[in-house]
Amino acid sequence: MNTRSLSFRLVAWYAGVLTIVFVLLGVLTFFFLRHYLEANLLDTQARRARQIADTLVAHASRGGEGAMLTQVENLYSPEANDRFIRITHTDGTVVYTSGAPLDGRFNPQQVPARAAGDDVGPGHKVRLPGGSLLIAARGATGTDGTRYLVEVGASGASTEATLTRVLVMLAVGLPIAVCVAVAGGFVLVRRALEPVERIARKAEEITQHSLSERLPVVRSGDELERLSVSLNHMISRLEEAIHGSKQFVADASHELRTPLTVMRGELESLAQDGQLKRETREALGSVLEEVERLGDIVEGLFALSRLDAGEAPAEWVRFDLAELAATTADQMSLLAEDKQVSVACESSRDVTVAGDRARLKQVVVNLLDNAIKYTPSGGHIALSVRREGAYAVLDVTDNGIGIPAEALPHVFKRFFRVDGSRSREQGGAGLGLSIVKSICSAHGAVIEVMSAPGRGSTFRIKQPLARDAAARPS
Amino acid sequence: MRMLLVEDEKKVSELVARALRAERYAVDVAGDGQSGWELAEAYDYDLIILDLMLPALSGAELLRRIRRKNQQVPILILTARDATEEKVRNFEAGADDYLTKPFAFAELIMRVKALLRRGPVTRSSVLRVADLEVDRFTQQVRRAGRKIELTPKEYALLEYLAANPGRVFSRTMIIEHVWDQSFEGLTNIVDVYVRHLRTKVDDPFPVKLIRTVRGVGYGLVESAEG
Repeated sequence: MNTRSLSFRLVAWYAGVLTIVFVLLGVLTFFFLRHYLEANLLDTQARRARQIADTLVAHASRGGEGAMLTQVENLYSPEANDRFIRITHTDGTVVYTSGAPLDGRFNPQQVPARAAGDDVGPGHKVRLPGGSLLIAARGATGTDGTRYLVEVGASGASTEATLTRVLVMLAVGLPIAVCVAVAGGFVLVRRALEPVERIARKAEEITQHSLSERLPVVRSGDELERLSVSLNHMISRLEEAIHGSKQFVADASHELRTPLTVMRGELESLAQDGQLKRETREALGSVLEEVERLGDIVEGLFALSRLDAGEAPAEWVRFDLAELAATTADQMSLLAEDKQVSVACESSRDVTVAGDRARLKQVVVNLLDNAIKYTPSGGHIALSVRREGAYAVLDVTDNGIGIPAEALPHVFKRFFRVDGSRSREQGGAGLGLSIVKSICSAHGAVIEVMSAPGRGSTFRIKQPLARDAAARPS
Repeated sequence: MRMLLVEDEKKVSELVARALRAERYAVDVAGDGQSGWELAEAYDYDLIILDLMLPALSGAELLRRIRRKNQQVPILILTARDATEEKVRNFEAGADDYLTKPFAFAELIMRVKALLRRGPVTRSSVLRVADLEVDRFTQQVRRAGRKIELTPKEYALLEYLAANPGRVFSRTMIIEHVWDQSFEGLTNIVDVYVRHLRTKVDDPFPVKLIRTVRGVGYGLVESAEG
């Protein structure tokens, strides 16, 4: 999982905040509940202490202390009710202590005596080995003026049990709640960000050649709709800009043709004049050669702009690429021979592709011409055509000077030259490989180049076989 | 022979007219579509050369009008556009031939001649240039009575040059006629073939027939004076 993805980070933050909130809530609940339960228990003890104080201790003098104690025991039976009752004189002498409760939660004898002069507070908690004891105290004055302190306590065990249960419930319930919430949040985030994924995928699909396509816009009225709409606007502007630059190349190469015609016509008629001085004729010839090259460049640019514009090819026929390659290699063999470069053509039979025969032939011509140009005499060029699955693969391999690695990504760019001088003196317009690439794209073919400087280059074209030819076993 | 040239680029029309007049044709020049139409309506021309991009009246429209009036006159279209569909559309509208700028003037003259030659033309099967004989029927070549063996491409090249002795062909023209359009821009192949042709046709003989005009191209000398 991508930990930097927006959905992951959102869910992580969400889970973190949620956990903190839940834990705080649990802690608050726990302490509030403990406070409430203990206060409640203490309150009950306090009432009981007051009762004892008011009704009994006040009359202690009538039947003597003994009668009072019997009455306390009878009326309140502290042992049976798991209660702790203690009555002391203010000077600290214990008048009465209740017996051990039936459930044995605490031992009344262990409850520390109250220090004399202690204020009668709201109550306090005493920790005993068996558990805690909540004790409320009440002062009382007998009819004879004797001052007593009545202490009534109850075990906090049940309160603690309740609290423990609450704690367990929180400990189990909290992670579950967090998990459920995180899962829900994850689903929500995924659903909310799913359009982003779709926009990204579509945006990756849109290339220079499919700029007319647009991103999907979900009419949700949210930020994502705005994002996709503004991205679409950007693509529109991009399309306009690219279209504009293509149109410019087309227009410029078109406009250059008329002046070139005039220049060439005038120069040609001059050059054929036999009366000219030798130097003049040479100069004219040189200018004419440059005019011709300019014409080649203009033609190349025009051809490229037409290919870019996606102009429908003149013809779309099925033909044998192997045969086309063999014929072309044969037609160009003299050119290679002249440079003492050998051309070997090896091809399997019947590699049927569909396309514009003339243009695909131009691809082979340009690739072979390049190979011949950049292979020194004595070198070797191999042209091969074969089937590979559903593809026709055409390789032009030479053992010539090769292409430096840093130049490889650029060889299909217009006017790119590996080094300034080497192809200009060969008379190239610098457009041959761009045209090859454009023709390949128009045919759904992929061209790639592998090269090692000093060892040679291989240009490989992979074109889908014509539809039903692909089904036939090779 | 009288022909009409409708072309708005003054320099181009002057050049074309000059080249045609040099071939002893009478040439009327119109600078826009409207005046071109007026001339075409008034006279019977043997050939009309038409630029497609014209002011006042477009070349395509002018082409249709001329065709409505006159079915016979050959029409050669001159244009800087060479989109294939457009070519097809104009052929359908009645154009007989098509030339894309920038063109070589030799090419224009050849096409004009070809258009004018249409119909029953008796063509000799043997082309003769000085002591060179090219037999189109048997595809055999002799010079001074000696048979010369040529490869098919060498033969095609020589036949093309011999068909118009005295004229110089640009390498692009030679490529288009002898090879095919896929070899466009690959003009060095022409140089190689011409060199091979020379070793067979010229080297054994004192008089050299194949002529090079630098920057322009190749041709055969008409008379063997040098």
